[in-house]
Order: sequence, then C-alpha cells, then structure tokens
Amino acid sequence: MPEHIELLNFGVEYMALDLSMEVLVVDDYKTMIRIIRNLLKQLGFENIDDAADGTEALSKLKDGKYGLVISDWNMEPMTGYELLKEVRADDVLAKTPFIMVTAESKTENVIAAKKAGVNNYIVKPFNAATLKAKINAVFGEA
Amino acid sequence: MKFNSALSKHSDEILSLLKDARNKDIRIGDVMSMAEIMMNSMHAFFESMDMAVYKEMRDIASYIEKAKGDISNLQANKLKGEHIPVAGRELDEVVAATEAATDKIMENAEKIMEADISDPAAYQTVVNSCVMEIFEACSFQDITGQRITKVVTTLKHIEDRVSRFADATGVRDGDDYVSEEEEARLKREKEQILHGPQSNDDATNQNDIDAMFD
Repeated sequence: MPEHIELLNFGVEYMALDLSMEVLVVDDYKTMIRIIRNLLKQLGFENIDDAADGTEALSKLKDGKYGLVISDWNMEPMTGYELLKEVRADDVLAKTPFIMVTAESKTENVIAAKKAGVNNYIVKPFNAATLKAKINAVFGEA
Repeated sequence: MKFNSALSKHSDEILSLLKDARNKDIRIGDVMSMAEIMMNSMHAFFESMDMAVYKEMRDIASYIEKAKGDISNLQANKLKGEHIPVAGRELDEVVAATEAATDKIMENAEKIMEADISDPAAYQTVVNSCVMEIFEACSFQDITGQRITKVVTTLKHIEDRVSRFADATGVRDGDDYVSEEEEARLKREKEQILHGPQSNDDATNQNDIDAMFD
C-alpha cells in the first residue's frame, strides 16, 4: 500500500490510515457529535476533536493538525459545504481528507460536494459499517 | 334620466331669460333667477349622484359586514393566541424528550462499552442495569407520538379554518409576499444548496451516492 497516491480530481493524497491522527467532527447537534465520536472510538481512533459549525471548524483546522474532517452540511453560520470550499482553497489545508455526513441527500448536493472536492459522502442516518467503509475508501484501505 | 330631463328643462329656461335680456341692461333679479335655475340643475345632478354613491356605500358596508363575519369565523385570535403556541410548545416538548431519551440511551451504551469485562458477574450486572435503563428511555416514543398527534390535529384545524375563509371570501392567491428576513433565508438556502432531509422517494440512497464516487 503506497503511502502517498495522488487522487486525480482534487490533489488530495491517499495516506495510510493512522488511528492516532486527529479527527475533527463538525456538527451542530451534540448528539450527532457524540454518536460519531463513539463510532470512531469503536473503529480505533484515539484523538477526536469537534466543532459546532464551519467557522469554528475552520479556526481549529488553521490552528491544529487534523488528518481527517467529518462534517455535517447544514450548519450556521458557516455550512459544511462552505467549510469544504474554504479548506480546498487554503494552500495548507487543501489536501485534508474531507467526508460529508449529512441529511442533504439530493443528487444536486452530492454533485456540488464532489465538484468542491469532497472525498466521500455519507447520508444520514448511517451505521458504523458505512462510516468505516468510507473512511477506508478515503485512505485507500481495502 | 331624471337629471338629464331636469337639465334640459333648466337650459331652456336660461336660454329664454338670455333672449329676453338681449339689448337690455342685465338686472340683479335676472342674475338671481339664472343662479336659481343653475342651482336647481345642480341639485338634480347631486341628487342622482347621491343615490349612486349611497348604493355603492351600502354595498361596500354589506361586503365589509360579511368579511367581518368570515374573519370572525376564522378565529384568527384564537389560532394565534392559543392553537399555534400550544402546537409550538408540544413540538418543543418532543424535541426535549427525544434529546433526553437519546442522552440516556447513549450514556448507558457508553457505560456498557467502558465496562470491565474481566469480572463476568460484575459485567453482567452493569449490562443488565444499562439495558433496563435503555428500555425505560425508549418509552419516550409513546408520549412524543401523542404530542405529535396533537400538533397534527392543530394543523388540520388551521387548514380547515383557512380554507373555509378562502372559500367564503373568494380570495385568490396574490403574488408571494416575501419578507426581507425570508428573502435572506431563501437566498442562503439557494447558495448553500440547503434542502433538508428528503422523503425516501426523493432522497438519493447511499448506494447511488457510492456509485458517483467509484
């Protein structure tokens, strides 16, 4: 398994899945953050941080070193979609793997997110197997 | 008709007076007579106009009276002051109850996840206790179901009143009024592609989404 494989569309790199990397969970519902945190813990992730919206997430991303962002779409004031575009537009953050976990399930949303550079897309409600599969897909693990 | 015949009669009288006054000095009495004739003409005019205006006013008054009745039947004050706030409170209670239940369920699930499995007997006690609490927490569904039924009943009541009002007054939908606040919200929804949760029929399922990422 190569450590760095360029993804064709967004210049995001595949990296070996490192369970000690910092994961940022962004959602405006505390319960959802708690659910994703627990699922990530079950999957073996040790360092999980959270933010209540895109603005807080962007500020944390600029200050810290995160290996993965798992974000909701519909938040205020900054949506997950806006956060994704900000991340991709930032030279330092541009290659951060980004998974959207959202109830926005219209094809229009998926296409827009893909165009903006999302690495994977999960529709709520979801289960642990789906989350695991998408994380593995983003990091190029079988 | 009445006004036209009166005007024609008075015009003839004025013409006759003017003919008599030709080549004579006009006297104050002639002027007074002409003024009187003019006044009679205008009186007939205003009299006919009064009747038309009166009829219009009476129609408007009766329309307003009927509209007042229709509005009164709408019971807008009761809807605004009673039904809608009660429905809002019920929904708040539903949100609070589901949140509390979810918290309790998650708290117990976390306790099970963190329980020490090295002592099977103690582990079983923890699991049994947590599972019981999870069962208890799930009872929220019964109460929230009843609350939601009350809200649905309120919405049906409002729908019934509004449609009866619309039928009674014969009002048609005008151009959509959009407040500044609503306009800003719609603009944001469009820009940020915010649709919210979809029904199963409209939603793209996970398999179709996965296919877009293959």
